[in-house]
Parts: sequence; C-alpha cells; structure tokens
Amino acid sequence: MILEPLLPSILSVRRIPNADPALLRAYGADPEKHTSLGLLTCDQDDPVYVALDEATKHASVDVVFAKSFWAGAGSASGPLSGEVLGVIAASDPAEIDEGLAAMIRCLEHDACFYGANDDGSIAVFPHVISSLGHYLSAEAGLPVGSAMAYLVAPPMEATIGLDAALKAADVTAAKVFTPPTETNFAAAWLTGSLPDCEAAAVAYAEAVVAVGREPRQL
Amino acid sequence: MSLSNTRTLMAELRQRMGEDDPMPSRREPQRIPDPPVRVYPKPRRPSRFAKEAAAHTTALVGIGRVGTRYATSVVLQFQAELAVAHSAVATVLPDEWAAENGLLSLNSRVEDHRQFLLRPDLGRRLDEDSLSRLREQATKGVDIQPILADGLSAVACMGSGVALLEHLTAECEQRGWTVGTPMCARFARVWLEDEIGQEVGAKVAVILLGERPGLGTGDGLSAYMVYKPEVGKTDSDRNMISNIHQRGIPPPEAAHRLALMAGAMLEQVTSGVTLDLGPLTTELGDAAGTGLREPQVREPLVFVGEEGEGR
Ligand code: B12
Repeated sequence: MILEPLLPSILSVRRIPNADPALLRAYGADPEKHTSLGLLTCDQDDPVYVALDEATKHASVDVVFAKSFWAGAGSASGPLSGEVLGVIAASDPAEIDEGLAAMIRCLEHDACFYGANDDGSIAVFPHVISSLGHYLSAEAGLPVGSAMAYLVAPPMEATIGLDAALKAADVTAAKVFTPPTETNFAAAWLTGSLPDCEAAAVAYAEAVVAVGREPRQL
Repeated sequence: MSLSNTRTLMAELRQRMGEDDPMPSRREPQRIPDPPVRVYPKPRRPSRFAKEAAAHTTALVGIGRVGTRYATSVVLQFQAELAVAHSAVATVLPDEWAAENGLLSLNSRVEDHRQFLLRPDLGRRLDEDSLSRLREQATKGVDIQPILADGLSAVACMGSGVALLEHLTAECEQRGWTVGTPMCARFARVWLEDEIGQEVGAKVAVILLGERPGLGTGDGLSAYMVYKPEVGKTDSDRNMISNIHQRGIPPPEAAHRLALMAGAMLEQVTSGVTLDLGPLTTELGDAAGTGLREPQVREPLVFVGEEGEGR
C-alpha cells in the first residue's frame, strides 16, 4: 500500500553532560554558552532535521551540528551510523534531556518518510511544520513561527513534485536543494499559510507517486 | 506536544487516490533469534564450607532446589515444622503439672491463653493467690532463685524444664550457694522473675522458660538471669542464654554456664549490660563447647518417596 509511513529507527542516543571545550568548538557549540551535548543518529536524515527543530521548541537548546552522511543509510559506516548525526547543545544537562525527549517523540510519532510505491523503494518526505522553531527558521531564513512544507524525494520525483507543489497553492520557495544532496535526494522548503503549505505537500506527494507509476512519459 | 498534521494528510491522499487497503500491509516477519546453545547452566561446584555449615544448623540453607522451586520434601518439612511451632505456642501448661512435679505452683495475673498472648503486662505480675502462696511457702533470703515457667512454649517447659532446673540446682549447691524453693509459674513472661525474686529476697533470680518456637524448635528453653531482682528492673539488667534443648545447648551444659554467670553476678554485684563476662570467656566457651560441635541434625517429620531420598 502506498503512502504508508516508513518509520525511522533511532540508532543511538547519547549525552555528554560536561563536554570538553575543544569538542564543543569542533561541533559548532560555544564553550562560553554551552556545557552539555545531546547526540542522536538515525537511519532517516530529514525527520531528524525536523526533530532537531522540534527540540528547540521544547527546551532551551541550540542545534549546533546536523549533517547527513554520504549516500545515505544504505552505505552507512556502521550499524549505529544511519545517515545523520544531530547534535544539540545547552548550558544545562537537564535541557539536553528535555530536548532529546522531544526529538525521540517527534521521530517515533510524527516526522517520517512515506513509501511512494507499493514496495516503498521510492521514498517521499512531504512534511508540514505548522510553526518553525529556532533551528529551521534560521536555516530557511524565515521568521520563527512560520509554516513550512519540508519536501524531499529522489531527483526526478522531487523535481516534478516541486513544480506541482508550487502550482497547487499560494506558497513561495524559501530554499531549493537541487540534486545531489549528500544522500542523493533533492529537497525544497516552501512557505506560506498553513493550509497552503499542506496543499503543497499533498500535491508534491501525489506527483511523486505519479512519477513512480509512469517514469517514462513521452 | 505538537504533532504535525502530515500523517493525516497522507492518509487522506491515499484514500483520495483509491489506494486504501482495508488489510494492513504485510510486514516482514521478524527473525526469531536462535535459542541459546545450552539451556541449563552448569551447576557450580558446591562449596565445602557451605556444606559443612549447613550441617551445623537447622536453618533452611543448603536445601537444594528443583528448577526455581523448593523440593517437595522441603516444602512438606517446612509446613510440618511450622505446624509444630504453632502447636507449641498453642499448648497450655496443665494446671496440675507443677504440683505433680513437686514444684510450687504460681500463676501470673493472666486468666487464659488468649489473654496471655495479648497482654504481656499481665504475665509479668503474680496474681493475689500466688503472691500469698509464695510468701507463705517459699524460702527467703536465698542466693539464687530459679523459676521454671511456660513462657511461649509449655512444650519446652514440660520437656527439659525439670532436667534443667535440677542440673542448675546441683551446680549451685556444689558452689555452696543457697537455692530457693523449686517453683513453676504459669502464663509467665520474663519479667515475672523480678517480683518473685523480690518477694523471696534472692540475690539472683533466673527464670527458665519456653522461648518463642521457631522452625525445627518448638521445645527450646531460655534462661533470663537478673541480679538483685525487684519490680522495675528492665532487660538491660538481665543476661540470658537461649536454645536450651537436646539438639541445642543440652540442659547440663546450659546449667553449668548459668552457674558461671550467676557466680559472676554475685562477685560483681551487678547484672545485664554492666556485668563483665570477659574474665569468663574461656570458661564459658569451654562450657559452651566452642570446639567443633556435632552436626545439628534436622529431625525429619515427613518422608517423600523412597526412604533416604528425603530431599
Ligand atoms: C522475641 C525476641 C526479641 C523481641 C522481643 C519483643 C517482645 N517484647 O517480646 C525484640 C525484637 C524486641 C528483641 C530484641 C532484642 N533481642 Co531478642 N530475641 C527474641 C527471641 C526471638 C525470642 C525471645 C523469647 O522467646 N522470649 C521468651 C518470652 C516468654 O519472653 P517475653 O517476656 O515475652 O519477652 C521478653 C524477652 O523476649 C526479652 N528479650 C528479647 N531479646 C532479649 C535479649 C536480651 C539480651 C535480653 C536480656 C532480653 C531479651 O524481651 C521481651 C520483653 O521483656 C530470642 C530468640 C530465642 N531463641 O529465644 C531473641 C534473643 C533473646 N534476642 C537477642 C538479642 C541479642 C536481642 C537484642 C539485644 C538485640 C539488639 N542488639 O538490640 C534486643 C534486646 C531487647 C531487649 N528487650 O532489651 C539474643 C540474645 C543473645 C544473648 N544470649 O544475649 C537472642 C537469643 C537471639 C539470638 N540468638 O541472637 N528480641
């Protein structure tokens, strides 16, 4: 059955309550401001970026590091690597705990890829964030609290999907990531009112399914 | 928490595209891990010390197990011993027992067995009749006044009570002390020795009474001894020896130790926590036989299966 959640697996979650200043600096944190780190790896990268943003809404944490790994989870360097490492930093270890808890909730119950064909080999991420946190708002150059459609799919599907999404609703492109990304997908961040973002995401998913069904259309 | 609407949106799209499937999608069956190669852990080598120690106590150690449970024979033995303990507590010393054994018969203020269990305070004082009987018949101004009593096990009192009393009397007389009139108190608690000792003007009083029955011992006697007994003494003024029965400290040995203890009290004119038993360590130790004791054999009350297959 199509459009079923492909649930992400959290592969590791650790904290460093009192991190070394050199480590803090290397991972983009500020030793003047941060003492503790929270780290998480997962086999799906984009849900983690959404989860990191979610953490900033629930705890006083900063997202200091978030990177996808080359060619994705299929080429992982080890069983705990997956395709992403996300790191949050805080001045108080208790905030890290809260932040990690919010991330885990988001990954277990909300953000995920969906299968765009029957065997799930085509994956689509048509996620709608109703209110951006500090992290993604800064990354997207949008005000905190805006609605955003976070859209990801393989290169061909993503390109056709983006066109459909932009035309389906009153949305603007905050950022477009043309292929290849680290994981060889393509992505776009669209903003507008919440109903417009939702309509755009639905149109995107529908287009991705359609491309999968008819890859060659002349 | 704030969940996004995405899952609902995708479910609606799927429905709109006519792709809904009433059957849940097929999940790959999970791989079932292989069972461990060896299911039963290798039994550890039994410790010689533990075996030896287990032989010297009737405590429930070194009794083995069947799977995660006790062996049937152990359960049955446990239940049987518990029954013995219960019935020892429930046994009442017959009215005439003291007289039949040539002992002055005394009663505490307790009227029946139930009251005995519920009102320790009444078991610590003599009733009017007994008090006058004691005043009329007992020898006064003695060095030591032994009192046999039921305490928490009339079974123990009737079992080795008289033997202990006689051995103790002999030990004391050997030392040239005057020993009070042999007597037996019914429904008695430890502190009853205070009033009796005070009335007869004894230097030392010792009550020999049944101790609270436990598993494997419904017939143990204890001896609680106090110097210059009088109403108002507390347990810190007393010294005691427990586990006096055939399989524990046999009465002759216990009598010897009690005499040593009484001697120390007479010499130091005190008892309880202020009494220094240090100088007697060797003698008491010899009396207690701190050398290698004979193994304490648990009396089997139940047999299961073939004889000898008891556990
Ligand atoms: C029940 C019991 C207790 C109960 C008494 C509760 C009560 N109000 O009845 C409690 C839990 C309070 C207790 C405490 C202690 N006990 Co105690 N107790 C026993 C036990 C299991 C049975 C006693 C019994 O049957 N008494 C007979 C009935 C008829 O007496 P009673 O008048 O109803 O009750 C009095 C006595 O039990 C007495 N008593 C109880 N323990 C002791 C200990 C000493 C040293 C003295 C002088 C009196 C005493 O206190 C009761 C109130 O006056 C014996 C084990 C045994 N095999 O006898 C250990 C035992 C007598 N206790 C012992 C000890 C060491 C103590 C404590 C000193 C422990 C401690 N370090 O604090 C305290 C002292 C208590 C006190 N009264 O000053 C040892 C004594 C060893 C020795 N040769 O001196 C024994 C033999 C246990 C053991 N094998 O180690 N005990």
